[in-house]
Amino acid sequence: MAIEEAPSELSNEEMQFLAQVLDAIIPPDEDGGSPGAGEVGLGDILQQKSPALVPVLKQGLTALSREMESRQLVDFGALSPNEKCSLLERIGGQHPDFFPGLLFPVYANYYQQPRVLKTLGLEARTPYPLGYDLESGDLDLLDPVRNRPPFYRRC
Amino acid sequence: MSEETADVVIVGAGAAAAAFAWSLAETRMKIVCLEQGGWMNPSEYPSSQEGWELRGFGDFGLSPNSRGRSEDYPVNDSESPIAISNFNAVGGSTILYAAHFPRLHPSDFRTRSLDGVGEDWPIDYTTLEPYYDENALMMGVAGLAGDPAYPPKELPLPPVPLGRLGETLGRGFNQLGWHWWPSDSAIATVEHRGRAPCINLGPCLTGCAQGAKGSTDVTYWPEAVRRGVELRTHCRVREITMDENDMADGVVYYDADGVERRQKAEIVVVACNGVGTPRLLLNSRSANFPNGVANRSGLVGRNLMFHPYAMVQGVFDEPLDGYKGPMGCCIMSHEFYETDPARDFVRGYSFEITRGMGPVSTAISGISSGNISWGPDHHRTYASQFNRITGMVVICEDLPELENRVSLDSNLTDSNGIPAPKIHYRLSENSERMLEHAVARGKEVLVAAGARETSAQAPLPFAGWHLMGTARMGVDPEQSVVNEWGRSHDVKNLFIIDGSIFVTSGAVNPTNTIQALSLYIADQMKQRLDNLFD
Repeated sequence: MAIEEAPSELSNEEMQFLAQVLDAIIPPDEDGGSPGAGEVGLGDILQQKSPALVPVLKQGLTALSREMESRQLVDFGALSPNEKCSLLERIGGQHPDFFPGLLFPVYANYYQQPRVLKTLGLEARTPYPLGYDLESGDLDLLDPVRNRPPFYRRC
Repeated sequence: MSEETADVVIVGAGAAAAAFAWSLAETRMKIVCLEQGGWMNPSEYPSSQEGWELRGFGDFGLSPNSRGRSEDYPVNDSESPIAISNFNAVGGSTILYAAHFPRLHPSDFRTRSLDGVGEDWPIDYTTLEPYYDENALMMGVAGLAGDPAYPPKELPLPPVPLGRLGETLGRGFNQLGWHWWPSDSAIATVEHRGRAPCINLGPCLTGCAQGAKGSTDVTYWPEAVRRGVELRTHCRVREITMDENDMADGVVYYDADGVERRQKAEIVVVACNGVGTPRLLLNSRSANFPNGVANRSGLVGRNLMFHPYAMVQGVFDEPLDGYKGPMGCCIMSHEFYETDPARDFVRGYSFEITRGMGPVSTAISGISSGNISWGPDHHRTYASQFNRITGMVVICEDLPELENRVSLDSNLTDSNGIPAPKIHYRLSENSERMLEHAVARGKEVLVAAGARETSAQAPLPFAGWHLMGTARMGVDPEQSVVNEWGRSHDVKNLFIIDGSIFVTSGAVNPTNTIQALSLYIADQMKQRLDNLFD
């Protein structure tokens, strides 16, 4: 009997579904201008950077679909935030690698995205080679300490 | 294959070996250093690469057991609440250290006399003082004169910047009337001996791409090599070999290809840190040393000391710029360093105020702390944390106890089949009470500085950075492994120069003292060359 290889990529339909899930984990923030995790393209990034995650995503998305069917729900993206949270927490009981396991790679990759860093007031670059300016600070704040007698034990 | 006999073979190329080799090189002796790691390439350090924050959890992580680097050896630390954090390369653990660089206090050398605990060292603060000064020039130590917690000292470079964060915490200490001072830091705050100045990259603990941090691959080693020291990398020493007169005659090691080789030497110097050194000595068994070389006292591996650490953090309303600047070097406080009979513990601790976290680290730590939500509240909770968290680590003095020790694991080996070390360690009641006191004081100062909430973790489980006491120095061969200038009591041409020879731990990062000790031992050897083995 031939052994079926696990698919190495999500289908287009699965990718769209994943984007909705990612937007539920980190939704767009209209006030602050932050994009949602799905909107920023994290699904593609996760799939490219972490191929081992693909089977976990497939299983989780399948389980989520089944749970929605059992609740007679059709469009995950159209649900209220509370409904989305409730569904993900429910799935997490049986698929912890999917949820909350997804939080680590989502957070870790979301906060590397240039659009996101810009909303935090950061430049989208590595620390080296430009580094950062940092004020030397007010060393007069040390005056109370300077005026203190030496307090190490002499021996 | 026969090899030329060296005058001196040094095992390990970390903090101690680098200073020692540089100093001893002026004798023009043939000095060979064998290091199991290689030279690091600063252009490959995470701070110059995409995903720089995450690599601190991966190939530049703290534990040799999880980094996946072939240069590391495994450590069984499953029976210790504190896991080993070391690094194997030219520069050793200085590659990943914070470069927080205080000296021991005078009282640290006299704990038995002053407080009735530990043991007195056979040397004192004044013995090491000139070597601290010499080391400050070589490592490039930044700091400020006038600290009332110490005898007068001059440091060659201006202090690291306080930034908003340091000022904020400094005001908190002032409000409580407690000591604080800019950290002594092995960081080139201005250009120093060819090293570029610090540009506040942030993640010093994953290597300094700028070369401003004083890791010994950029301080002592280039100068030692220019003085003629031969540094052989990817050479892992298995054992020290002995002749019929109870003198060491060299070492057996595996080269980069795994080929067994031998390096003969007139003098053997061990500098493998407080875990690697007892491991090597215990692995070096012979007819006259059935329990390991230099171990007739039975103390090799015993009296292992860490510094039990706590982390205390606060969340502030105002931005702190904490992702900028050397992350382990800002300000320090020695308010609770010395013994106070009013407390329920002896000896004391220091505070090392750290900086903050980058965007990814903030998010990831928010998962474990529960302070950052997923879902509709994510952005609000993230904004309340990012660039607003700072705090300190607490460094508690650990006291020597025989049962805290390094042994050889009966099953675990490294990639060359050499038995790996096993750690046996428990926190003392004194340490537990000290940690409790420190966490309460840490929270107090954070609140005084304006923190709206605080949290703490004690002991820190991954904080086995400081490895001391496992081959301690002393004048009594029954109670110590090496004499007052680092020579084995049992083997007169075997020297130990790393943190293993500490008698007590003090309550500060040990690297400065490790190097001062190794410079002192090198000087002692130079003065005794005519009768070194008498």
